[in-house]
Formats: sequence, structure tokens, C-alpha cells
Amino acid sequence: MIAGSKLEKTINSGQFVVTGELGPPKGADLTQLKHHAEGMRNHVEAYNITDNQTAIVRTSSIACGATLVQMGLEPIIQIVVRDRNRICIQSDVLGAHALGVKNILCLAGDHQKFGNEPGSKGVFDIDSMQLLKGLKDLRDEKKFMGGEELNGELSYFLGAVENPFADPFEYRVDRLEKKIKAGASFIQTQCIFDLDRFERWMEMVCERGLHKKVAILGGVTPIKSLGAARYMKNNVSGITIPDELIERMTGAEKKKEEGLKIAIETIQRLKEIEGVAGVHIMAIAWEEVIPEIVERAGLYPRPKV
Amino acid sequence: MTHRNNQDLALKNIHPPCQSACPLHQGVRDYLLAIATGNFDMALAIIKETNPLPFVCGTICAHHCEEECRRNDVDKPPSIRGLKRFAVEHGKAKVPPPVDGPKVRGKVAIIGAGPAGLTAAFDLARLGAEVTVYDREKMAGGAVRHYIPLYRLPDEAVDQDISEIAEQGITFKYGIELGKDITIEQLEKEGCQAVLLAMGLPVSRGLNIPGVEGDGILYALPFLQDVKRSGFKFTGNPNVIVIGGGNVAMDVARSSLRAGAAKVKLSCLECDEEMPAFRWEIEEAKEEGIEFNNSWGPHAIIRENGKITGLEVVECTCVFDDQGRFNPKMKDDHKEMISGDIVIFAIGQGGDPEPVRGEIEIDDRGNVVFNSQKMTTSRAGVFSCGEMVTGPGSAVQAMANGRLAAQAAAGYLQGVPFDCASLEEVAVLDKLDAKVVEEVVHIERNAIPMISPEERVRHFKQAELGYDIETAICEARRCLTCAAGAQQDEDLCVHCLTCVRVCPYNVPVITEEGKVSIRNEQCQACGLCLSMCPVYAIKFRAPYVEEAVNAIGPAVQKLVDKRNGKPAILAITCSYGAFALPDFVRKEQNNVAVVRYPCVGKLDSVHLLKAIELGIDGVVVVGCRDSERGNCQYKDISYWAEKRVGHACDMLETLGMNRESITYTELDGDEIDKFDQVIAEAAEKLK
Amino acid sequence: MIIAERKPLEEIAAMAAPYKRVCVLGCNTCVAVCMAGGQKEAEETATLLRIHRKKENVDGEVEVFSIERQCEFEMIDEVLEKLKSYDVIVSLACGVGVQTIVEHVPSLRVLPGLNTTSMGYPTEQGVWKERCLGCGDCVLDLTMGICPITRCAKSILNGPCGGSAEGKCELGKDVDCAWHLIHERLSAFGRLSDLEEIQPPKDWSKSHHGGGARTSVREDVRIDRG
Repeated sequence: MIAGSKLEKTINSGQFVVTGELGPPKGADLTQLKHHAEGMRNHVEAYNITDNQTAIVRTSSIACGATLVQMGLEPIIQIVVRDRNRICIQSDVLGAHALGVKNILCLAGDHQKFGNEPGSKGVFDIDSMQLLKGLKDLRDEKKFMGGEELNGELSYFLGAVENPFADPFEYRVDRLEKKIKAGASFIQTQCIFDLDRFERWMEMVCERGLHKKVAILGGVTPIKSLGAARYMKNNVSGITIPDELIERMTGAEKKKEEGLKIAIETIQRLKEIEGVAGVHIMAIAWEEVIPEIVERAGLYPRPKV
Repeated sequence: MTHRNNQDLALKNIHPPCQSACPLHQGVRDYLLAIATGNFDMALAIIKETNPLPFVCGTICAHHCEEECRRNDVDKPPSIRGLKRFAVEHGKAKVPPPVDGPKVRGKVAIIGAGPAGLTAAFDLARLGAEVTVYDREKMAGGAVRHYIPLYRLPDEAVDQDISEIAEQGITFKYGIELGKDITIEQLEKEGCQAVLLAMGLPVSRGLNIPGVEGDGILYALPFLQDVKRSGFKFTGNPNVIVIGGGNVAMDVARSSLRAGAAKVKLSCLECDEEMPAFRWEIEEAKEEGIEFNNSWGPHAIIRENGKITGLEVVECTCVFDDQGRFNPKMKDDHKEMISGDIVIFAIGQGGDPEPVRGEIEIDDRGNVVFNSQKMTTSRAGVFSCGEMVTGPGSAVQAMANGRLAAQAAAGYLQGVPFDCASLEEVAVLDKLDAKVVEEVVHIERNAIPMISPEERVRHFKQAELGYDIETAICEARRCLTCAAGAQQDEDLCVHCLTCVRVCPYNVPVITEEGKVSIRNEQCQACGLCLSMCPVYAIKFRAPYVEEAVNAIGPAVQKLVDKRNGKPAILAITCSYGAFALPDFVRKEQNNVAVVRYPCVGKLDSVHLLKAIELGIDGVVVVGCRDSERGNCQYKDISYWAEKRVGHACDMLETLGMNRESITYTELDGDEIDKFDQVIAEAAEKLK
Repeated sequence: MIIAERKPLEEIAAMAAPYKRVCVLGCNTCVAVCMAGGQKEAEETATLLRIHRKKENVDGEVEVFSIERQCEFEMIDEVLEKLKSYDVIVSLACGVGVQTIVEHVPSLRVLPGLNTTSMGYPTEQGVWKERCLGCGDCVLDLTMGICPITRCAKSILNGPCGGSAEGKCELGKDVDCAWHLIHERLSAFGRLSDLEEIQPPKDWSKSHHGGGARTSVREDVRIDRG
């Protein structure tokens, strides 16, 4: 046991894991965030709290994460390297830890160009790989990135993201391995729509036994509308949406219901794929639907650990 | 009338191949450029700078220039001789005033008024000498006057030249024969400080073969002279056999036809390809129906009852030996008979030493002893030149030789020794690089129109008609403008490689040291690189581009000063093709200043903006578009011209000004009448 | 080579408007090669300024000339008297040139006529692309000659990131993913295993982030007689 978080425990128990995602607000009122969190209290093990996602300024992931801790819920705070140098990141990690955060997800972050502060300087002092390694060493070796000793101890569960749909395809497994080496205990993948490609990737992952070294949580996003599907297909980098899926949405009478069905089917199929340890549900601006998905996918009630 | 003062245009230190090949080193490129841009007066002025016999040369010159033209590697050279004829017929220009320099004082006698003697006389007179030309004939011109047939060279052409030569202050004394009517000694006694012998090759050679004695045998030069000067006609319609394969033989054969021969048969030792006559002379003779009997040597003239019935010939298997010397091999057992009534020998001409025998040294072969480096004979103050010392050649070669003798005589009179070896050598351009040749646009040569063979053999009228204006402009445009184009200022060059990338002809190259080298000698003078050089390190060797650029300011100023409420427009047009036609060049313009540009590819957007700065309301750039009436020889012009205009427009827009103040359009040869419409449209956009 | 672009004309015109005697000073080295500030661009800029000032009724004159490099004291000295005769100099050098003049001759007023953008090369006639950030610690040996610091928008050392698709960066289809290119080259040279190693955080101290403007010294060629 590394951090003793519910997420870690569930993973270790070998049971199918469910995590959800919450985006902090573009303001300091956390009512809505709390409401969504409460709504899925019994449906997910932990909540990803995004870090200024798509480079749009929001309440800090650590502050929101701490709020969830106060509610007795378990956050996975995201840390991107875009906005902070290694000093700030390490300091924030210490702070988060002090506030009871037990899970950290390390990412590069969307480029600042996409957000609402496009003129800001991208820090990118270190990259996500270096972040993982740095936080692992800080925890395990008790050394800051610069080499100085850490006072006391830290225990957090480190995760990373991987995108099986990015290129070069064959390198994506290598990079996964590299992230494991760097310190990732769990991996959340980019939203999966192209299951065939994901399966191919998982096959390669299992061939190398990587699924035994890391818990892979497949990313699932329910599509709310045809427009949302099209937007993601055309505008969100790193996401692949097969044409059949667009056709299916086009043909459906009730778009929302169809979107849910697709998400549920995806989860059911993921459950069957060797090496998949769980799912990470990213219901962007549709958080309230997560409990329904979890229930209809047969993942409810959640196991007690 | 043009007096050409700008001597810089004839670049002094390097000659295009045509100019190097021309014995007189005429500024061929420059006069072709002048014709191509519609400045026929300028073309003639350039010709007259170096050539005292422009009409003669425009008509019959052997055009050595064309042989060396670099267009030979691409397709065919421009018809330089035809364009010279066009220039003398369409241009107006006086002989330029003599170049300032030390003057020559003294009396000079020149014996012989042929091309060599006339050129020497012209040069010496312009240097200040008191020149008298003596000729045994009654008219000046020598061989061109007496031997070259009228159908090739009408008398008027010769007259034009002679009269202008005479204007230089030369006295002509006709009907006076050296050795008979006067002697060198007499001339010296009369005060001549220098004598130039330029008596040509007046003796026709014959062969001592069986049957040569008797009636019906003629010799080339007397025959040609009789035909030309006395209107000789054959009695009856004899079959004429001409022996010889040179240019004189062609003249004899073709004159024979016109003088009433029923059939003309030519017999020569050489095979067709080896014949010494110019190819076009051979072709024209064949067109006229002359029968060619190649590779046959004359063996005997066959007579029946004293009357010629034919020429027995024996096969010639080889004319020249291994060393290239004339040494014919005959196959004695293979004989043929060419039937005919008259035999004319046209196998070469020789000099006549008799007029000077006893006064100057003559060698055992009967030639005047001559120092070709110093142009001197054995007698002090007596010089010689032309075919009598060089042997047979072209008129222009004789002229050039006469020019050397004039320099030698002038030196003698000034007390400055002369030696050909000390003459300034001018660099000869390399051949075009194969990679450049590949890129040069092919443009078909415009044949000079001629009267049909059937028609022309009936009379002695000039067979060649000459170019019309439009064709001449197009033909002149085929000139590759060698050595006029881009020259790199190596001190300024920043080696940015822009020229390397932009040049359509692979002219700029990168040296092993990583430097850009613009090979001026390879440049096609399209000028695309000029305005793209970020440091203006490229200039043209010839000044015509700079002249066009410099014309913009004054033209704009003049128009702006007299602006009458209507928009004042500067039109920068192409200066070639239809834009060179007299109708366009002389067109009256209202509220428009026209500056003709030697291709709008040379345009710089800064020049457009400067015109705006000077207060012009609008600028219209009019490029040319290819059409059946003439193609641009350059590449990529529209692409770049349009971009440069576009850039200037963008710049105006950034200043909050009307981007339509500057417009680009193209007209082809047939659309030139739309020029007014283009201007009107531009004016409309300015409202 | 240093790459620059001319500032928008209206910006230059506004900067120069308060001054009567204006000199547009071209720089005939780097910025000439990238067609931003050589003699030709200087001529054009001066012409445009004159047109603009005439239009806006601004008094004074605009003259133009160029020197080889504005970033050399001695070359500035050669034209110093001339420069001093103007009220302002619109420098068409890169930012270095402008500062060199000001540092060397504090009494001169110099305005930047260019925006200095990058160090790069012309990928084709008329197109210049950035290829070096001057990070002070070259990693091209590790990345097969393709600079991830410059060419990756995130300057990451353990790429490609999740935004890489079809060889392009998440920023857009017109931007190559540098790490994709690096991966391709490593693959071609059989060196993909190089990627197994986690590249440590970059030592940015050698870059501009290490403490502002950097100084390079070669003691052996320095003239320092104490």
C-alpha cells in the first residue's frame, strides 16, 4: 500500500474501478461542484479534479480537492506542467498532501493558446514524465527534484494519462511503459470511442505485461448531442471518433439516450478487455448523469474496501 | 535624327559573342535591343559608330556574328544581318562625331575604293588626315560595286554609304590606275606622307586544261562586272557550266541565269557539305534551279568544230589532305561529261602586283611583301590592307583590315609605332552553360522574306525584301542580350541566395566557398533578381534598365506639374513587342506619362511607391502577354510583376490609401489598342 | 540567422511622428537576408514614411542609408556624425542593433522598425521558420538533430505528448509534431531504445531563464590589458 486511498485499495482489490471527473468552476462558488460530487458519492471511488482544463482559468484543483476531502470524498487532483515551474509544483503537492489529498494525476496540460489567457507564458519547465518521476522521487527517495532532502514523509498515489489514439501508435505503449517507470501507479486514458484501436493497444500492453504493473482505467465520455460528437471529432486534439458512431448519433431519435447507451456499451465492452482495471467517466458539463451510467453499466453498488 | 552620345552602352571590357565575332566589333546586342524596343534611330546610330558601310553590310554582310551567337545552342541565331538592313532602312542617324583624341595631320593617299580602302579612308579622315582615294574604276565600292550582283546588292545601298563616307571630307579620284596614271613616288612628291594600298584581288584564275583556248570561255570577275555594269546578256540561251564552289561561283551561276542562260550547271571539287560558299547562297542557288555537280574536277573542255559542247570531269574523291591542305585526289578512271555551251571559271581570285612593281618589294609568288602585325610594306610610309594582303574573305573582314591599316598609318603620321599585338584584347564570352540553355525559351527565327525563285531569276532586282516593322521587332527580341544583364556587386552582396532561387535560368550559382556568384556571362537579362536583392547588390552591366528607372521621376514630375484636374496617371509598360511599334511609341497621351520598361519583370515596388510619393494619382503597370504576334523570351514575368504590384498595393493600404491607385494588367500584341481603355479604367478607380 | 519582420507601417509612422529629421537606417546582414531590414526594405520604409507624413502633413524629412551591421560599435562609429545629424533613427536592425546603437551612443534616439522574431532559416523562398531558441544547452544530439525545445510548443523532453496526431501538433495541422519527427528519425536509425530513458528536467539556467541576458566570453581572444 502506498497512500491507502480508496482508489488504490479498490485497484488492489482487483475489482473494476470507477472514477469520475469534476471540472472546477470559472468562479469561486463551489456549490455546483459540491452538488455534483454529492450526487455520485456512492457511484465512484474517486473524483478527478481538473487543473485549469483547456487552459481556462478556474478555481485551483487543489482547493476543490480539499473541499471534497472535507466532504469525506476522495479527489484525484490533476497537476499540469503548463502553469507552474518545479518549485511551485512541488510546493503545491506538499500543500495538497497537507490538506489530505491522496491521489495525483500528472499531465502536460493543453497549450495556453487554447484557453482564455492565450498571451500567457507557457511554463513547461518540466514535462509530465519529469513530473511523475519528480513526485515519485519526492515520495520514495524523499528528495526534491533539485536533490535536497524532504522533511518528513509523503504518501500519495500517482497516476498519469495516456492517449492510445495519438501518434505514432506503436510508440504509445513504449511511452506507457516509460510513465510506469517514471512512477505512475494508475493510468487514465483519453476518451475511448474507437474501441478497436483501444483493444489493439491493450493487446500490446498485455503482451508486455504492463497491465500488471499499472492499473489502466479506460476513459469514457457520454456524448450529449450530435453537435458535441462532431465538435470533439473535429476540434479536440487526441480524440478519435469513428464515423459509425457519428452515424449512429445522427440516426438516433433521442440523442441523449443514445449517447448514454454508447457510453454504457463502451463500459461493458471495456470490462471484457484483458488488462482494463476500470473506467474513468468524463461527463463534461453532464456530471449528473454519471450515477445513471454506473448503474446501467452494472457497476452499482460499488464494492466496499 | 539621333546622335548617340552615350558611348557607355557599348561595353568596353567584354563583348557578346556576336560583337567579338564581328571583325568590326559592332555593338550588335545594343542595336538589336534598340530595334526590339522600337528605337530604330538609336539602332542605326549604334551601327554607324563602328561601320562606315552600313547599307552594304545590311545587305550582303557575311554576318560572322550569327555564327557565334549563343542562340545557336538553343535554336537559331537572330537574323542580325536582316535586322541591320532593317535599321538602315527604318532608322535615321548621322555618323556620330569623331571621338575626341589626338588628331592626325598630313596627306594620305588610298589606292582602291573597295571596303578596305573606304574604311581606312573614313577612319583617317575622321582622325583629321587629308585623304584622297584613287580608284581605277569610275565609281567607288570595289568588289561590292562591281562584282556583287545587283539582285543581292542594289547600287542605291552602295551610293548611300559612299555619300556619307564622302561627307567626312574625303576626295575621290576615279579612273586613275596606280603604276599607269600615277606612281607611289609621284604621290610622295605631291606631299602624301602615307600611302595605303587596298587594291583587292582583281585577277580571276583559270585552269590550263585541254580546250581552254578558244571561244566560250569566261572568267568570273570580268563576267560579273560586265553583267552588273554593262548589262551583259548571253546571246541565244546557252547552257552555262560554272566551275567553282565558292561564293563567287554562286554569284556567277545565278547571274548567268538572269543573263539569259537556259540552264546553269555548276561543277566543283567539293562535296555538298565541303563547299566553301555560304550555305544560304547554295540554298538560294538551288532554289533557282542551278544544277550542282559535286565532287567532280574539270579535266578537259570538249569542243566540236571549235564550239564547246561540254566539260569532261573526273571524280574527286578527296579535296583536302590529312593536314587540311588543298590537295585533291582524283579517280582518273571515272569520267563524266557535263554538256554545255559556255564555261565560266570561278575558282578563285588573285592579286595583281604589276601596279607597284619596282616601287615596293614583291615576293616570288607575286605578293606584296607585307608585315601583317604592323600593316606595312617594304617602303616606309606605304601600308597595305584588304584582300590583296589577306587573301579572299568577306567584305566586313576587309573593312576591319582597312581599319587596322588606318590605325597603322595614323600612328606613322603621329610618330607612334603601331603593332596589332598591342591592341587591347577584349574578353570573349564563354558558351552558355548547358543548364542555362535548357531553360531558354525557344523562339522560331523569322525568315527574311524574299521574292519567289521563279520570279527573281527573271530580273536583277533585289531578291530579298527585308523585314516589316513588326517582324523586325520580334526578331530583334530573340537576342539573348549577352553580357548586358545582372552583375553582382560583391562588396554589397549578403549571399542571401534570393537570386539563386528566383533566377529561371540557373545563372547565379553557389561557389564552394558558399558564396553566391552571379555569372554575368550566362545571364539572360530578364532582371527578375534586380529588385529582389535586399541590398541592391545587383545591377545591369548595360545601362538601359537604369535609364528606364531614371525616366520615372521626370515623367511623373512633368505630368504632375501640368495636371489639369483630371487624375494624373503613370503607365509603366513593357517596351517590347507591340509596345515597340511606332504607333504606340509616338502615341499622344493626355494626363498619362508613359515609361516603357525593358520588361516589367525588372520593376521594383519601391519605384512604384516613389511615383506615388512624387504625387502621381495612379500607376498602371502594363505587362505583355504572349500571343501569335510575339512571345516574351523571359519566364515567370507575370508572376513576379503581379506580386510586386500587389506588394506596393498592400503597402498603400497600410497607409490608409486606396490600394487601387496601383494596378497591374497585361495586353497582348493584338490588344494594344485597348491601352486607352486600361488607362480609363484606372482613372475610374481613382475617383 | 536572426529573423525579423517589419513593424506595421502605421506603428513606425506614429513612433517617428514627433521628430523632424528622421533617418531610416538599414542593416545589411541578418535582417537583409530575411528581407526585413536591408537597404531595399530601408528604401521602401523611408518612401512609405514620406508618403505618410505628406498625407498627414507632418513636417520634416526622412532620409535613408544602411550599414553592414548595426551591432558593431566600430561600424556605427563610421557613420556617427551622420547619425547625429538626425532627430531620430528608425533602425531596421534586429533588437540587438537598436540596443547596440543606444548603448554605444546614448545621446541618439533610436526607434525599432522591426519586430525580431526568432533564429531560423528559410524553408523555402520567402518563408522563414524558427529553429533555435538559444537555450544555451543544446540537446540536438539526443533528438537526432530536431530541436524539441524550439519545435515542440511545450518544449518537452520526453515527448510526444498526447496531443500528437498524424505527425501534427495539437496546436494545428500546419504544425509538425517535433517529437513525431524525432521518433521517426530514431526509428530510421534503429535508436528507438533511446526513448526508454527518462530525460531529466532541463537545466534552464544556461538559457535566458538562468538570469537574464547572457554573456559569452572567449578569454583567449579578448583584449584586456588591465
